[in-house]
Parts: sequence; C-alpha cells; structure tokens
Amino acid sequence: MAKLWAIIKREYVERVRSKWFVIATLFGPIFFSAIIIVPAWLSSRSKATSDIYNTTILDATANGFGHRLAINIAGDSTIPGRVPEVRVVAPSMLTRAESTATHEVMDKEKTGYVVVDQQTLAGESARYAGRNATSIADMAQIKSAIRETILASRLEKVGLDNSRMKEITFIPLDFSTERITEKGRVGSGIASVMFGFAIGFLLYASIVIYGQTIMSGVLEEKTTRVAEVVMSSVPTDTLLAGKVLGVGAVGLTQQIIWIVTTYVLLQLRAPIMARLGAPTMSFTLPDISLGAGLIFLLFFLFGFIFYSSLFAAVGSSVNSESEARQAASPLMIMIISTAVFIQPVLLNPTGTTARVLSLVPFSSPIIMPIRMAVIGIPPLELAASLGLLAVGCVAALWLASRIYRVGLLMYGKRPSIREMARWVSYSR
Amino acid sequence: MTEYAIDIVNVTKRYAEHAAVRDLTLRVPTGSVYGLLGPNGAGKTTTIRMILNIIAPDSGTIHIFGRPSSDPKVTERMGYLPEERGLYRKMQVKRVLKFLAELKGVKGSEAERRIDDWLERLSLKTAEKDWGLSKVDELSRGMQQKVQFIGTLLHDPDLVILDEPFSGLDPINAQALKDTVVELKKRGKTVIFSTHLMDNAERLCDSVCIIARGEKVLDGTVTGVKEEHGQRNVALALEGDGMQGIASILSDHSLVKRADDSNRFFEIELVPGGDPQTLLRRIVESGASVQRFEMIQPSLHEIFLKKVGATGIEEGMTGHG
Repeated sequence: MAKLWAIIKREYVERVRSKWFVIATLFGPIFFSAIIIVPAWLSSRSKATSDIYNTTILDATANGFGHRLAINIAGDSTIPGRVPEVRVVAPSMLTRAESTATHEVMDKEKTGYVVVDQQTLAGESARYAGRNATSIADMAQIKSAIRETILASRLEKVGLDNSRMKEITFIPLDFSTERITEKGRVGSGIASVMFGFAIGFLLYASIVIYGQTIMSGVLEEKTTRVAEVVMSSVPTDTLLAGKVLGVGAVGLTQQIIWIVTTYVLLQLRAPIMARLGAPTMSFTLPDISLGAGLIFLLFFLFGFIFYSSLFAAVGSSVNSESEARQAASPLMIMIISTAVFIQPVLLNPTGTTARVLSLVPFSSPIIMPIRMAVIGIPPLELAASLGLLAVGCVAALWLASRIYRVGLLMYGKRPSIREMARWVSYSR
Repeated sequence: MTEYAIDIVNVTKRYAEHAAVRDLTLRVPTGSVYGLLGPNGAGKTTTIRMILNIIAPDSGTIHIFGRPSSDPKVTERMGYLPEERGLYRKMQVKRVLKFLAELKGVKGSEAERRIDDWLERLSLKTAEKDWGLSKVDELSRGMQQKVQFIGTLLHDPDLVILDEPFSGLDPINAQALKDTVVELKKRGKTVIFSTHLMDNAERLCDSVCIIARGEKVLDGTVTGVKEEHGQRNVALALEGDGMQGIASILSDHSLVKRADDSNRFFEIELVPGGDPQTLLRRIVESGASVQRFEMIQPSLHEIFLKKVGATGIEEGMTGHG
C-alpha cells in the first residue's frame, strides 16, 4: 500500500509541477469563460451599432420619404447626431450623388449611404452601401426602418396620422426562453445546452489529454528501463493502478480548478460584461444537485479508468512515440467518434442515438453526463449506463494489465494484434 | 536453507516459440560474488527477471534467502540494475532516488539522508555543485550511471543483481563499480551479475555459472571450474641452454603428455593425474637451473569458448534474453 502510494505520489507531484499543467490549468477558465461570455457579448452585438446614424440618405423619391426614414433610423431624433443626413436628388443626378457618397465613405467621413427611390415607395427595393454592410444587426435595423417608413406612408394614404402609426407599429418584443423538465422550470434553455456542451468538452478533453499522458508515461518508463526497476519492487498491477490513479488525480485537480474558477468568473460576469460595454443578461446556471454532481464524478472516474488503462496497455506494447500514435489510433477513433455525437445528442437528447450511446461503455462517460445536463434521465437508465460502464472498466483493466506486464518487457518490433492476444494468455 | 542467497531448482520458462530457460538449477551461496555468464540470448536476463519475480517460471521453484521469490519481504532485500539503463529524464535526481527508495520500503527522511551520503560519496555533490538538485537529463551519461547505481543500493540490499553492469560504463565508473562490488562482498552482501565479459568475471567472481541456449553448461567456484575443465599445463624456462639435460624427463610419457617449445618457455602438458611437483623435483635433481616454473590455468574465456563453442554463441544470438 505504501508502494502504491509512492507511485501515485510521483505521478501526481511530477505532473502537477510541470509547466504544461500550469498552462493548461490557466487556459481552461479562459476558454470556458470565453465560451460563456463571447456568445453573450456577440448577442449584445446583434443590437445595431451607432454606425447606422452616421449614414447619408440619397432620396430620389421627391416626396420627403428620406426625411421620414432618417427619423425612423434615428429612433429617437431628440438625441443629437443621431439623425442621418438626407440629400434629396433628382433621379437623373443619382449616379453622381452616389459617387460622391462613396468617396465620403472611402474617406471615412460616413459609414455608408442608403438609396431610396420610386421602387422603394412601391415596396420593391432599396439599396445600401457602406463599410458595415456585413453587419447583420445594422442592416436589419436599416431594413426595418425602411419597411416602417413605407408602412407609414401607406397608412398615411389611407388616412392614418403619423403618431397613431407609431402606436400601431411599435412592438418591442423581448423573446426569452426557459426550459421545463419533470422537476419544473430549470432556467434558460441556452444555458443548459452550453452547460451540457461544457461538460462534454471537459470530459472529452481530459480523457484525451490524460489518456495520452499515461500512454507516454508508460512508454518513457519502458524505453528508459525504469519499468524494470520498478517491477522488481512492486507487482505490475500496482504500478498500473498507481499510474491510473495518480494521473486521474491530476485530471481531477485540474477540473476542480477549472470548475471553481469558471464559477467565480460567472459570478463576476456582470462587471466583466459591463466592461465590455455589453448589457448584462440574466443567466442562471442549471441547478446541479449534490447527487448529480457525484454521478458526474463517477462517470468521469469510470470513463477515465476505462480509457487510461487501455492507453497504458498501448504505451507498454510499443517502443517509440510514433509507434504509440499509430497503435493508439483505434482508441482515438473511439473517443473522437463519440465527440462527434456531442452536438446531435444535445439537439436531441431523448433520441435513440443518444440513448444507445449513453449505454455503450466507450461513449457513455461522455454522452450520459451531457444528457443529464439537459434532460432528466430515468434512474433505471442511469443505473444501466453506470453498470455497463463499470463492467467495461473491469474488462479494460483486466485486458490492459495482461498486455501491460508482458509488453513492458518486450523490446524490438511492434507486436501484431495476434501476438498481443497471445500475451493476454501468458501467465506472467 | 539460508546458506544460499538464491536457490533455483529445475526452473523452466518458455515463450511461444522457444524455451528461454530450460530446467535450470542454480545455487548462489550467501556472501559470494556470482557471475552468470553466457552469450547474448542465453537466458541470463530471463533468469534474472525470474529471480526478481518480474516474471514467473512455468515450472520449478526459486527461493531467495530461503523464502519464495514472490514474498514481498524478499523484494525489499534485493537491488537491481537492469542492462540498459535510464531514469525519468525530467525528474530531479534526488526525487528519482527518493522514489526508488520508497518503492523498496525506505522511509522518506532516512532515504534523504542516504541519498546525500551517496551523492557525496560518488562526488555528485560537492561544495560547488549539488547535482542532486538537477534534473536527470542535465547530467552527463556517466553521472546518470552513478545515479542509477545509487538507486540500486540505496535500500542497502542483501542481494545485489546487476545485469551486464559493465556495458556502456566509462573506465572510471567501471572501476568504481568493481570497488563497490568488492566492498559489498566484504560487508557480507551477495552480488550476482550477468556478463559476457569473461575478464571481469574472472577477476571479480567467487563462483560462476555458464549458460547457453537456456541451459546450464557448467557452474562452480572459479578455481573449481578451472581445475575441472582446464588442462594441467606447466610453463618451464631454464637458465642457459640446459634443455638437453632434461630431454629424458620430457619424453617420459608416464608423466608428460606433450611438450611444446614456445620460444621463451616450454609449455608442458602433464598426463592425467601427473603431479607437477614430481616434475619439478626431477628437473631440479637433474641439475638444471630453473628460471620459471608456473602452473598455467586456462582462462574462463578459454573454458567458455571450449564449452559453449562458436556455434553455441551464434545460435544463442537470436531470441529473447
């Protein structure tokens, strides 16, 4: 037991001290806060910017459409500098006026210009040209201002005055979404999808990163022959267990740091968003009970043991990093093909694909926690998933320990699948 | 039972294609320096791994200090230096050594004290520089070898197993290793090492075992092996040109089988059971003046070549160690 502890301690301390651990641990919170804050910031960007006020309206309608449009674009014409400049031009002079306006935009005096003419009055077409032409929000704002102005002139024709028209067309709709499960309302739907994605990413990343860490650690011990010295002191199963537990503890440490700092960043979200000049949105994380947290932890541990023991077996059977990469490709395919399903599962967490993948041991440690984040899972399904994963873990450990103890002592050529199968049958 | 540090009885280990070790019986007396000799692939490393309980024999028994080799108590009494050597490259020297000591059941503070002692002793820790604080890959190859050697001996093992210890050692470290082996023996420790360098074995070992193709060819004390397997030759040189005077003695086929003139001396092969003392007395009685009279013993190298033969070496070159 003291020896197992010595191995766990070495794996843990040496890795936590490495600069890669420090970098990755710092990178995590930045990444997670980015995936939470950036979408919110982007959505705040979806409100039109002040760029639209600094535009020119080239009015070839000859009925004052341009002035009404300018007021609609400004929204609130009492704020100075908001009302776009209007130039009334004769249709024949339009080409020259456009050319002048283009130069103004090129010289950065103006953001862009709108052309309105008879076809605009007929509700057929209007044109905009400017530096912000790719801004969806700005264009939407201008487009809706034009529509509003057309609508207003039509209503005027049937005898409705301007103030009544405002009353009728003003619809400041705020569309919020909320999720309902059998436990009731559980906060914003977007939030839980993001949360599910974060969980999936976290599990995927740690399995890939730490699985490969174990693999190259085993390979290092083999190529430097340290393994032989260690094996002369402890049984190989102890060595394997020590590595899996030690590296697993490193992964867990990192995740705890990630989760805590991300949580803190989320709490500080309002001031950060304010700094970015974006309006704060209400954002509630899904409520995770202690029980659910423990189940997440179990999935992480089982998933980690499943993959890392197999990665260790691969590391023990090869002689170089390049051989290891090749030999690990079946494992990587298993993980990546699971990751490919993260999004479909998030979109349809109750579908057959999602249900099957959350029962298969190689995908369940990633897929099931994602589903748990977005929907409620019947306890029976949860138990079946965990049970199968536990069985998978035992099988993986059994297989891995048998390959491991023979592989570590075999040098030379990379073994074929058949040779590895024979190793499994060796007594020791 | 415990007069043997290692007691191997009828051990066989086979891999799919071949038997790495066949029906090997081997006893290493406690407190001796024991050489396991054989060509590459003879089964030396497999034997050593079985002694260390890294792999288990298919049949037969192995006892270390009277206990089965799988007994964890026995593990802590053995120190092992594998053939090809390396350490965790990115780890600090002291921490590597502490880790190795902990695996052998040495407590942390005690391990640290011993590590400092050893580092000073092998001049890895001097007034100017403490290499113990460096990372392994900052050390030269020779220094890494020293560190590894410390790792083998840190827990003060009663049985030290060295697999091809001299391969890749620079002359200074090789000498340090020889000195340490002698010192270990003086302290009553048992040292077993495998080698294909017969010179080293001949100088250091009390007893040897030659194995080839997984089987024991011969074993015993070095002197015993030489007596048993060597011819009994005498090198004789006389002052002046006095060979004529002893010609009758040399042609006495009840005593001398053959006499070769090797220019500077005569190499005389005695008949089986012939007593070299009788030969000496008769030469002296003949009035010849003896300048040199010396029993020539065959070297282990010669015995090895004779017993294993060139074919044995070649056949043994392939397969697992």
